[in-house]
Amino acid sequence: MSYNTSSRLSFTRSPRLFLFLITGVVLLYGVIYPNLEVVVTSLQRDHQWTLANYREALSQSAVLESVLTSLGVSTLTVLFCALVGIPLAFLFERYSFPARRLFAVLAALPLVLPPLVGTVAFIFLCGESGILSRLVQSALRLETPPWSLRGWTALLLFHTYTMYPFFYVLTGAGLRRIDAGLAEAGRSLGAGSVQVLFRVVLPQLTPSIVAAGLLTFMTSMASFSAPLLFGGSVRVLTLEIFTARQRGDLELALTETVILAAFSLGALIFFQRYEGTRRFAAAAMKGTGRRLKPITSGKARAAAVVCGVLFATLLVLPVATLILVSFAQDGRWTTQTLPPAYTLANYARILTEKDASEVFVNSLSMSAIAALAALLWSFCVATLARGKGSRVWKRLLSLLVLVPWALPGTVVAVALAEAYGKPSPLLRSYVLIGTFWILPVVYFLRFMPLVVRAVQASMEQLDPALEEAAGSLGARWWRRFRRVTLPLVWPGAAAGTLLAFVIALGEYVASVLLFVPSNRPVSIAIASELRDFNLGAAAAYGVVLMGIIAVSMIVAARFERWRS
Amino acid sequence: MSLKTVLALILLCLLAVVSCNRSSGPAASKLLIYTPHGQAQLRDFIARYQQQYPNTDVQFLDMGSREILERVRAERNRPQADLWWGAAHTTFQTAADENLLASYRPSWSDKVAASTHDPQGRWYGVYETPEVIVYNNEAVRPEDAPRDWDDVLDPKWRDKILIRNPNPSDSMRAIFGAMIWRFHKDTGSPEKGYDWLRRLDANVHEYTADGTLLMQKLARREGLLSLWNLPDVWIYKEQRGFPLAYVIPASGTPVISDGIAVVRGAPNEAEAQRFYEFATTPENLVLAARTYYRVPVRTDIDRSHLPGWMNEPFNRMPVDWELLRNQGNDWLRYWDTEIRGRSK
Repeated sequence: MSYNTSSRLSFTRSPRLFLFLITGVVLLYGVIYPNLEVVVTSLQRDHQWTLANYREALSQSAVLESVLTSLGVSTLTVLFCALVGIPLAFLFERYSFPARRLFAVLAALPLVLPPLVGTVAFIFLCGESGILSRLVQSALRLETPPWSLRGWTALLLFHTYTMYPFFYVLTGAGLRRIDAGLAEAGRSLGAGSVQVLFRVVLPQLTPSIVAAGLLTFMTSMASFSAPLLFGGSVRVLTLEIFTARQRGDLELALTETVILAAFSLGALIFFQRYEGTRRFAAAAMKGTGRRLKPITSGKARAAAVVCGVLFATLLVLPVATLILVSFAQDGRWTTQTLPPAYTLANYARILTEKDASEVFVNSLSMSAIAALAALLWSFCVATLARGKGSRVWKRLLSLLVLVPWALPGTVVAVALAEAYGKPSPLLRSYVLIGTFWILPVVYFLRFMPLVVRAVQASMEQLDPALEEAAGSLGARWWRRFRRVTLPLVWPGAAAGTLLAFVIALGEYVASVLLFVPSNRPVSIAIASELRDFNLGAAAAYGVVLMGIIAVSMIVAARFERWRS
Repeated sequence: MSLKTVLALILLCLLAVVSCNRSSGPAASKLLIYTPHGQAQLRDFIARYQQQYPNTDVQFLDMGSREILERVRAERNRPQADLWWGAAHTTFQTAADENLLASYRPSWSDKVAASTHDPQGRWYGVYETPEVIVYNNEAVRPEDAPRDWDDVLDPKWRDKILIRNPNPSDSMRAIFGAMIWRFHKDTGSPEKGYDWLRRLDANVHEYTADGTLLMQKLARREGLLSLWNLPDVWIYKEQRGFPLAYVIPASGTPVISDGIAVVRGAPNEAEAQRFYEFATTPENLVLAARTYYRVPVRTDIDRSHLPGWMNEPFNRMPVDWELLRNQGNDWLRYWDTEIRGRSK
């Protein structure tokens, strides 16, 4: 014990205890208690401990079927996203061709498309009576629509479109970190380019690809609007939970919730084993970066541009559809290919009505609060996870932090409603449900894992020698953090925070269960308009929301450039 | 961005929140309504209410009626809503049984039939909602349209029928329930009703996620036929110009009483009662009938002021609503797991 005392003392000089307290409290209130409450409820009946709920749920063929379907859909989604995202990342990171940067940015577009907005745009574009389908039908003079947007194909198509950016972005980042010298060395030892790819490059990329696969898998398990709107008769677990709740079968819904969460968390724990290999990529940072290979041959160049334009069109089409519909006159678009009449009334309506401007203010302020809180908190977590301590403890910490990300939005909302919809041991008589703060809290919980991951990744690449040097020059913890760590970690942290902010802006599944008039977010306004069949107004809300997202990303990018 | 900038941003956001919380303004009293009746009707009623009571800040959240039930349940320890306007009487009775509603007897409580209110006054019916067969009248000629429930099982409608997902919908629950009840009343078992739903399933092209999508897909001819409630059909037909027509099934149709209730523990109970009375005056019932196609429940309305179709006689199906309410969830669960999408 005694030889340890000196290092313990140096801890107390850093605000480690303070960080520990904050982290612990947030995890206890936000993650451990609400989820435990759900598990406990699923294990009880009339206040008696029993497994009856599980026995009943698992004896129903529909529940088993939905579990298997969810797993199948998610696995296939991961596969397809990898097939699209990884080659794209290689294309954009390795080769230079005209308008490369524009396409590179466009390729990440679906990442910031709010899910509800995306599904609606998809229905207008590819639905059975959508623009594309009508176009094909009239071109080929078909009697019936050429396809219906339903079932496995539709679901996988939409999932691939919205989730391949995980692979694209993470593989791209991984490629940028790779030491080109290693590939060079491989080549000089006589390895062919295929061999270099499989023996040198891909192994270095494994952590990025595994991380992307995990993200895609969990997002797909949690996917709700897509199976609801065009899953057809495909039964996934999220839908089963939804219908069970609507039938008033609350026990079954909670039990299915726990089953879903168990699978997502299982995948998380399983894949976390690959985390260790990440250091490999981090160490490689010291090597030289790889130059872009220009595509100079005329034909290849033309082909690259054509592919780029085609691909960009595919990506932009849903957004373009949304913009088109936002100008369409409501109710006039029935059997025509394109909306027959256009108007500015939809924008006029949402820009002049008081409740319309309010929903934007609400979403912006709640997302900002959540994102900034997540930023501050992720520094606490990252500092703790980096400091001394046992491995088991650290793994537990990063697992707990990731739990809300692994859980579908509905589950997070239901857990909070279960735990804080009544006087609770943690909050005493204070009931959080029904207050303004419930949504910022939900947004924080759902999206802080993004920020934590970003900060952690940046910190892992930080050379500890820098901090040690500052320390040996007499800088205290706060000064070291502010002058050494923060400037180096900042780009990653800012990117993560921005992403969390942007995704929170369009959050729907948890908001719909918990919003109150004083915090009604944009997504709810869109859903209301859809309910009333004001499709144009719904699309207009969506377009304004995407505009805000685009502006905040551009401003952030400018700011970063101006700073450096 | 320096740390100072970050802190400044946080402060700015907090200021924004504080200021917009304040901007909701000091109204003398407040009222929050949960309702599925749609934005147009609500804005109209609230505007006219505020002409009479200018110091009341009235807000509403529009959601499906089953969503409202879930929400009121979740908020039982901290009720947010004052008034719940709109849901089938079966849903209201469930809420009443779960002790979520407060008792209130409106001034017109003796002007309605006994079947359209709770004996303890925890909900009263306001509108009647008959269920009908609806079809796209540009694609189907009136003489070819089904006359009765069993006609929709005809193989000629295979892959032509759209049905809204019944779980969250009071109308679809009523229709499915009524179809099972038709056989249940004689056999005492839902089996024959399940068979009926199975044959319907064989004809169904798609179960849509909500009523809006149902109407949209019907207008766009993704399917030609559906089962839905009459007021919605009128709204889409008249206000949206959709090519729709309807048939009231010859053998009779279930009629839902669409009610109103004060939420138990409502923060502004007196205001809720005042709006309750306002929404159900004879003038406002006539207005709702003419503008929003809502058939009034009150028996003391001068029926000559109502649109002509509301006075046309039709067969009511004498459904056993208590049976539907008690068994409905089990029936739906069976339908969900064993029938939906299995008959092809």
